[in-house]
This record gives sequence, C-alpha cells and structure tokens, in this order.
Amino acid sequence: MRQVLRLLGLFASYWKWMLGGLLLSVVTFLADVGLMALAGWFIASMAIAGLTGTPFNYFIPAAAIRGLAICRSLGRYLERLVTHETAFRLIARLRVWLYDRLEPLAPARLQAYRSGDLLSRLGADIDALDNFYARLLTPVAGAVAGCAICVLFLCRYSVSAALITLGFLILAGAVTPFSVERLGAPTGEHLVEVSSRLRSQVIEGLQGMGELRVYQATERQARFIEEETRDMLRYQARMSRLNGFSEGVVGLLADLAMWFSVIMIIPLTVSGDLRGPDLAMIALFILTVFEAVAPLPNAFQMLGHTLTAARRLFALADARPAIREPDSASREPERFSIDIRGLTFRYAPAGPSVLKHINLKIEEDQRLAVIGPTGSGKTTLAHLLLRFWEYEEGEIILGGRPLKSYRSSDIRRKVAVVSQDSHLFNTTIRENILLANLNASEGRMIQAAKAAQLHDFVRSLPESYDTFVGEMGVKLSTGQIRRVAIARALLKNAPMVILDEPTEGLDPMTEKKVMEALLALMQGRCALLITHRLVGLEAMDEVVILENGEIVEQGGHADLMRKSAHYRRYHNLRFTWTP
Amino acid sequence: MSRHAISASVTLRLLSGFLLIVQAWFLARVVHGVVIERLELSQVLPWMWVLLAVFPLRAFLAWLSEQASFLASARVKEAIRGRLFRHVHALGPEYLYGKRTGGLANTLIDAVEALEPYYARYLPQASLAALIPLSMLVFVLGVDWRSALVLAISGPLIPLFMIIIGKGAERLNQKQWKKLARLSAHFLDVIQGLTTLKLFNVSREEAKVVAQVSDEYHHSVMAVLRVAFLSSLALEFCSTLGVAMVAVLLGFRLLWGGIDFQSAFFVLLLAPEFFLPLRKLGASYHARMEAIGAAQGIVAVLNTPVPAPTRGTKTLKIDGGLHVVFQDVRYAYEGNRVALSGFNLRIKPAETLALVGPSGSGKSTVSSLLLNFLRAQKGTITVNGINLYDLAEDHWLSHVAWVPQRPHMFHGSIAENIRLGRPDADMDRVIEAARRAGADAFIRDLPLGYETPIGEGGRALSGGQRQLIAIARAFLKDVSLMILDEATANLDPETQEQTQRALAELARGRSALIIAHRLSTVRMADRIAAMVGGRVVEEGSHDELLALEGTYARMIKAYRSAI
Repeated sequence: MRQVLRLLGLFASYWKWMLGGLLLSVVTFLADVGLMALAGWFIASMAIAGLTGTPFNYFIPAAAIRGLAICRSLGRYLERLVTHETAFRLIARLRVWLYDRLEPLAPARLQAYRSGDLLSRLGADIDALDNFYARLLTPVAGAVAGCAICVLFLCRYSVSAALITLGFLILAGAVTPFSVERLGAPTGEHLVEVSSRLRSQVIEGLQGMGELRVYQATERQARFIEEETRDMLRYQARMSRLNGFSEGVVGLLADLAMWFSVIMIIPLTVSGDLRGPDLAMIALFILTVFEAVAPLPNAFQMLGHTLTAARRLFALADARPAIREPDSASREPERFSIDIRGLTFRYAPAGPSVLKHINLKIEEDQRLAVIGPTGSGKTTLAHLLLRFWEYEEGEIILGGRPLKSYRSSDIRRKVAVVSQDSHLFNTTIRENILLANLNASEGRMIQAAKAAQLHDFVRSLPESYDTFVGEMGVKLSTGQIRRVAIARALLKNAPMVILDEPTEGLDPMTEKKVMEALLALMQGRCALLITHRLVGLEAMDEVVILENGEIVEQGGHADLMRKSAHYRRYHNLRFTWTP
Repeated sequence: MSRHAISASVTLRLLSGFLLIVQAWFLARVVHGVVIERLELSQVLPWMWVLLAVFPLRAFLAWLSEQASFLASARVKEAIRGRLFRHVHALGPEYLYGKRTGGLANTLIDAVEALEPYYARYLPQASLAALIPLSMLVFVLGVDWRSALVLAISGPLIPLFMIIIGKGAERLNQKQWKKLARLSAHFLDVIQGLTTLKLFNVSREEAKVVAQVSDEYHHSVMAVLRVAFLSSLALEFCSTLGVAMVAVLLGFRLLWGGIDFQSAFFVLLLAPEFFLPLRKLGASYHARMEAIGAAQGIVAVLNTPVPAPTRGTKTLKIDGGLHVVFQDVRYAYEGNRVALSGFNLRIKPAETLALVGPSGSGKSTVSSLLLNFLRAQKGTITVNGINLYDLAEDHWLSHVAWVPQRPHMFHGSIAENIRLGRPDADMDRVIEAARRAGADAFIRDLPLGYETPIGEGGRALSGGQRQLIAIARAFLKDVSLMILDEATANLDPETQEQTQRALAELARGRSALIIAHRLSTVRMADRIAAMVGGRVVEEGSHDELLALEGTYARMIKAYRSAI
C-alpha cells in the first residue's frame, strides 16, 4: 500500500491528466450502460404505446439512443488517447526521477547492475510500472466511481434491487478477484521459481554446449529441460483453471444479480409502483453494469507484479550514496601526487577487509604499477582514489590535502581513467571519444585516436568516425572498444592517470604499440597502472605486488628480479601470447 | 493433438453461445409476460427457474472451453521447446559463434511462451468470431428479418475496418515497438555506463538527455497510436451504432404493431452479443502479432540446416595410442572469415604438442575441429589413418576430453560435475580424479565437500578452482586424446603452478594438444607448433625454434624470457 501511495506521490504533478483519463473512462462506461438501459426502456414503452394507443414522445429517446452510441464510441477513443498520453508522461517522469536518484549512487551501489541480468530486470520493472496507471489505477477507480453512480441510480427505482446489485458487484469486483489471487499466490510463486530454473537450464545448455557434447551429456540436459517445461505447464494449467474460474464466476454473478433483482422488481411492476418499461430497463441496466468489473481480476493479478517492481525500484533509489561530499568547494591541489597511509577498507562493516594497511606513494611524475591476482584489491584501490567509495581507516592525501576534502567531481576532472569496463555508448565513435572534451577540435581528436592505434581501424569503416557503436550499432571487439577508451583518455589530457587492465584482450602487436602510447600518456604525470599482464614493467618507476589486500613486495623491476623469488615466480608465469 | 483441443474449445464455446440464445429467449419471455401480459411472479417463476439453471451451465461450458484452449497451447509449447533445444544442439557450437546466449535463451523460453495467446486465445476466437455471430444471425432471422439485415450489414464492416486500418497500423506498430525498445535500451545503456559518465563529469547533464529522449519518442509514438486507435474507433462505432439502430428500428416497428414485444426484446438482448466475438477478435489481434513475431524467431532457428552429421560408422583401434594428422585443412567462419588455410599438423601418440600463436591465428579453430564442433571445409583430418568424418561421432568423442579456457560449472554438486563424462563412476574414482588434478585439497576444505552445490545458484568457485574441476573431469573420463585450452585469467602463482602441474600429469602417456599462452606451459611440451595467420609456420622443440630465430624466437625475445 505504501508503494501505491509513493507512486501516486511521484505522479502527483500529472493529476489533471490522470483525472481526465479517469473521467473519460467513467463517462464512456455510463454511456454504455445508458445506451442499453434506454434501449430496453424505449422498446418496452413503444410496445405499450403501440398496443394501447397512448401517445408517446419517441423523438427524444430515439435520438438519445443514437447520441449515447456516438458518445460511447468517441468516449472510448478519447479515453485511449488520454490514457496513453498520460502513461507516457508518467513513465518519462519515472525515468527522470530514477536517473536523478541513481546518479549519485554510481558506481558503488550499482556494482551489480553492470551485468545484463539485473539490468534487464530493471528495465522490466520500469515497464511493469507502465501498467500501473492504465491497467490498474484507472480500471479500479473507474469501476468504483461508475458502479457507485449506477447503484445510486437504481435506488430511485428499487432500493432492494440496488442493494442486491451492489452486493453482487462487490462479490464480483472485489471478493472474487481477491480470493482468486490469494488462492493463486502459491502457484504463482512456484511458477516464478520454475521459470527461473528453466531459464538457468536453458542458458546452461547453451553456454556449456561444448562440454555437454564432448562429455556426451546433451540428451540429459534436454531431458532436464523437458521436465522443467512439464512442471511449468502443470503450474500454468492450475493458474489457467483459476483464471477461467474467475472469469466464469464474474459472468455468473452478473446473471444472478439480474435474476434476483428481476424477482424483486416484478411484484413492484405488478402492483404498479414501477412501470413495465422500468423492468425491461433495469434488466438490461444490471447486465451491462457488470462490464465495469470485468477488467478487475486482471488488474488484481497485475497488482502483485507491479508492487514487487515498485518495491525493488524504490529500494534501489533509496540507497544512500557511498560518499559524503564536502560542503565547501574544493581548492586546487598543490601538486598532483598521491600519498596513501595505513589505508584499510572493507565494503561492508561486517565484511572482510579488502585492503589492509596500504602504504604507497606516487609522486607527481612517477609511474606505479600494481600487480596481483584477481580479487586482491587492485581495482578497489583505484575506486577509492576516484572517491567512488569512502574509506574510514587510514588516509589518502592528494596534493597535500586529504582526499575527502575534495569534491568527487573535482577529483575526476583531474584524472583520466582507462579500465576494463570502459563503456561505449549507443552513439557514434566520434561522440564517444569527445565525451572527454566536447569542445575538442577534430584535429586533436584524430591525434588522440592515432596515438591509441585506433585511427587506421576507424578509417577502414564505411562511416569512419560517424559509425554507430554499442548495443544497437556495430559490434566492436574488446580490443577495439579499449582503444576508443584510450583515445578518450588521451584526449582528456588530465594530470593524473589511472589504468585498470588497459591492454587486456589486445594481441601482442597492438599491445606493444598501445603500451607505447600509454607510456607516453603516463609521461610526466602521476600514473597508476593496474595489470596482470606483466608487460612493460621495466618502464615503470615502481612495482607493487598486492595479494589479499596486502602489499607483499615493492620496488623497481630490476631490483625485484634480483632480490625477490616471489616476484620472479610472477615473472615466469607471464604470457608469451595473448589468449 | 492440439488441433482436437482447439476444436473442442470452439465447440464448447459454441454450445455456451447456444445456451446464451436460450437464456435470452426465456428472459424475453419473462419480461414480455410481466410487461405485456401482466402476469404475476408465480406465473413466470418456472421460466425463471430455467434461467437459474442455464446460468451456471453456460459459465461451466465457457470454463471448460478455456481449459481446452490452454491444453492446446500447452501441447504446442512442450513440443516446440523440446524440438528447438535439440535442433540447436544439433546445429552445434558453430551456430552459437557470434550469437548472444541471452538472445537464444529468449527464443527458447519467451518466444515459445508468446505462442500461447495465439493458440489459446486467437485461434479459437478466430473461428468463434464467425460461428457465433452467424448462429445468432440465424435465430434473429427466424424472428425478425429486418434486424437481421442491420446486423448482417454492420457485422462484416468490423473485420473490414480492422483489415483496412489495421494493416497500416500494423506496419507502423512494428516501427513503434522498435522505437519503444530503443527508448528503454537507451535508459539502460545510460545506467550501465553511469560510471563512465561520472568519470567524465557529464552525468548530471545526462538527466536532461533522458528527459529529452523520452519526449522525442513519446511524441512520435503518439502520432502513430492516434492512427492505430482509429481502427478501434471504427470497430466500436460499427458495433455500438449497430445496436442502437436495431433498438430504434425495433421501437418504431413495435409502435406500428409490426412485431411483438417478446421477439423484439429477444433481438435486443442478442444484438450486443452478436458483436462481442468480433470485438474480442480485434482485441486479441495484438496477441497474434506478438506470436507472429515470436514465431519468426523460432522458425528462423528451426530452418537453419543442420550440418550433415558424421554418418560414419567406423571404429578406431587404439592399441598404440592416437595419431592425428591434419592435412591442408581449411576453415572459414560464415564462409568468409578464414581461420585456417593450408593447415598441416601432426600429433603423435603419447605426445604433448603445444600450439602457440597470436590471437586470431586460428588456435581455437584447431581444437574446435578436433572436437567436431566444426567441419573442415577442405583438406582431411585423419585419426590412426581413418578420416575423422568416417568415424561415428559418438565413438570419436568417447576418446576425447576437453578442458576449455573457461570451464562451465553445471547446476549440481562438485561430484556430479566431475562425473559429467562418466555419470556412473563410483565415488572412489571421482576422488582419485580430483586428487590427481590437485582439486581434492580445496574440495575437502569446503563445508559440504564433494556434495557442495555449484553452478547457477550454487557456490561461486574461483577461476582456478573451476579449472581444477575441469581437469578432474578429464582425468575421470580417462581417454587417449586430451585437448587443453590454457586459462589466461587470474594470475596467482600458486594456483597457476598447480594447474600447470595438473595439466602435465593429465597429458602424460596420452596424446595431448595444449593451446598454450604461458612460457612455462610451452616449455613442458614435447613439441611446439607456432601458428600465424591460419597455418603452422614453425615446428619443433623450444631450443630448435629459438635457434631458427624466426617468429617464435621473436615472440619470446619480445617478452624477454630470462630462462
């Protein structure tokens, strides 16, 4: 319920649109009911007039019937337009709001969303909320308003019929959908479980296809999938039975409401309290009123999904940013050097320490390389330097002042980063490179591209720098993506450089050349290179081995080769060729 | 089978429709009785009882009809999914190259599910949209031919309008769906790249872009929808006005005594029901479109021809081990990306051969050919003198084991994963294999040991641990040819040395092909073949190749091997 209120609060500024859609929906409904009821009343009156010969003003009712028909059709059309317009606006608002809340959370709180799975769930959740207004809110509110008006109208003729109708309406519109939803909830949960198991089996079957074939386990996998499908169908059949029941019951209740009301009304007609045509009118009236509750079972079912989606989105948006920005503007650093003292860091208060008592210094024009196995804390170090995460123990001094005294945006302005997950956006190569400096000239951009060993490749593409890349465009290889990222970093021309596995996925020829470009990039700047490829370490001023969050060796390459057996072990395991 | 279910569904719904006509008749009788004949309640009560009996019967038949349609769609889904999966597997890993698993999984799961509304809803409704109105028309005709005429004229207008406006809207609809897809893709793209945006300090401005993009698409899509909704306007118009016309005409005829009230009321009760199936069809048209879209994806996969299976029936004699010869082999991906050309290689029995070369030189293609994932397009591959493609495929694979670069852990326990190739192996043999692979130690350290669930939803193992389990798999299968693809990630001297020791042990006494990346791995091979551009350029031992001062020597020197 809280989610619903929050959502409504979010959409509050569009209340006029939402109300408009609702009104149109109610008006259309009333026109529909009115049409059938009036038609029944009309022909009954005409029949009596014909038989008894009493004069009857038929112009007005006849015209009204046609008028109501037009009103209903147009009403439905306008209602659709307004509803869709409103839904668009609401979703746009949702996206902007969500973006505003997510922006300060990146990347710390959004780590998990880099992969496709959770990301597509985010997309699905937003789409689920699309239904909130059109398929949930409007039908429910419309049904309540419309039925209330209709019941009140019935009271004019027979309070008992009105009450009977109200009772059946509540049974059909609230009790039935609610009970069916409750009855179906455990099956629904099973379905979700089974579907996700099925998806895993299928994906496994595809990703592990090679091994399944070689180890001759394909048929077993196929049988697992068939079993899961049969399971899923069993649950779906149960849902189908429930849903069918729900639909059938609603229709039955409509018929019963009409039947009981007719039983009530006949004596009144006989005794003269009500007229004959009134009976005809009321019968049709009641049958048609139940059309308002027809979409409600569906709406109830959607309620569950929608609320879950809303809950997830709000939980995401409510997360607190990982860092606290200083209130005052940052001052310029005296010099661009980094001094790390006793840095200890853990991601969660109760979690393991990812970095332990790190002491490091990188002077203004020094190049430091950090090597070590995956998960040793290398990337965490880079993230802390970029103020993506807040450290509590120890200190990082940037240019003479604590890192925390700087605004994170000011820090990032002074650092160029190339990492394994440098993202290319769904736009042109040019736009992707110019992200670093929107005002850079074409010449400077090409210069950066050349230094990144990118230029010749781009020229070979039919649309050159105007080629669209990313998900919807041309698929670039990892190496090519990396080179665009490097061109970006070169263009940025920042005093500090952080490189996180920059040559991962490049073949040796390209790697050598790119390393040259990167070394040139690092020239005269405070530079941190994180790598496990152990290439070009001779050109670095200092090398640090980080294992399990601790520095185990430190020194120049030549020195370490002489003195440290551990370093030599690393050296022996370096690559000859890239994968 | 599902065709029977659909016919059953249609028949049941039709029966339900007849009951509706019966219902309308009796209701008209009652109302006529009270309004015109001035009957008392007790006199019309018998007809009321009939009505009371018909209501639940009609609802029950409708319910049965729904279940029959579900059954139809269930059969279809089960059959198609099984077929799809087996077909994809028959197509083999070659088919998967360059495709995203996610997309294919969607076809196997979501596209198949999308077929349901088509079979369960649209198909039955398509027949009913003709049958029910027709049967109602017959009854109305029997009572009042003028009303029947109005209905007969306005009824067909609905599908007519649906088709006219619908076709245009259909084309526009597809563009619209693509636009909507791009809109949500843009948002997700931005979220995924938020870190990058922050690094370049443009993340704040991006909020404006999000709003702007939403706006643009909103307007263009609404323009399309306005036209699409016109078809539903026409539909509603025809049906609603049709009912209104019937009512008005009936009224006037009643006034002038041309028809009795009972018949008129009966017709009025049926009029909206006449149009209902047609309107429902319009609503389920959308389901049809989605299903067609989904079906296209499915058909595309099913129509991809399966490469001719190795129809071979010969068997191998393994006495002296396996001797593999590649002669002048050529393979090009998708016809034009040449990976191997004029490729010659010999793997001698019980010999460890290291295959080295830069990325793109064709190394993984070689292993794919040996594993029968791909078929050589030119040249021959022979094993102990017999052509690989003359061997029964299952028979060949039973002599090969593979440790890939990134081994896949399947949903199940560690023991089950090791047993992949020999599901009936007893626990002792599993433990022995794990021991020889050097995996036993870390497995015993885990709280559940060999029963630890891994794979999707299980415990996440490190890259090194996965490698060791994959090596244990190979040990357990215990075959004559090992194809080993050295992992390149996760530099950690302990684990890497362990893996190398395990690989060396695995290769001992068998034919082994190792795609090597590390110098130390290369050094453990009996012979080295250096590949460049799809062919072997140098062959020999490490020292021989160094002496040649060719490609291999240059590569080694470039990384300054100190050993």
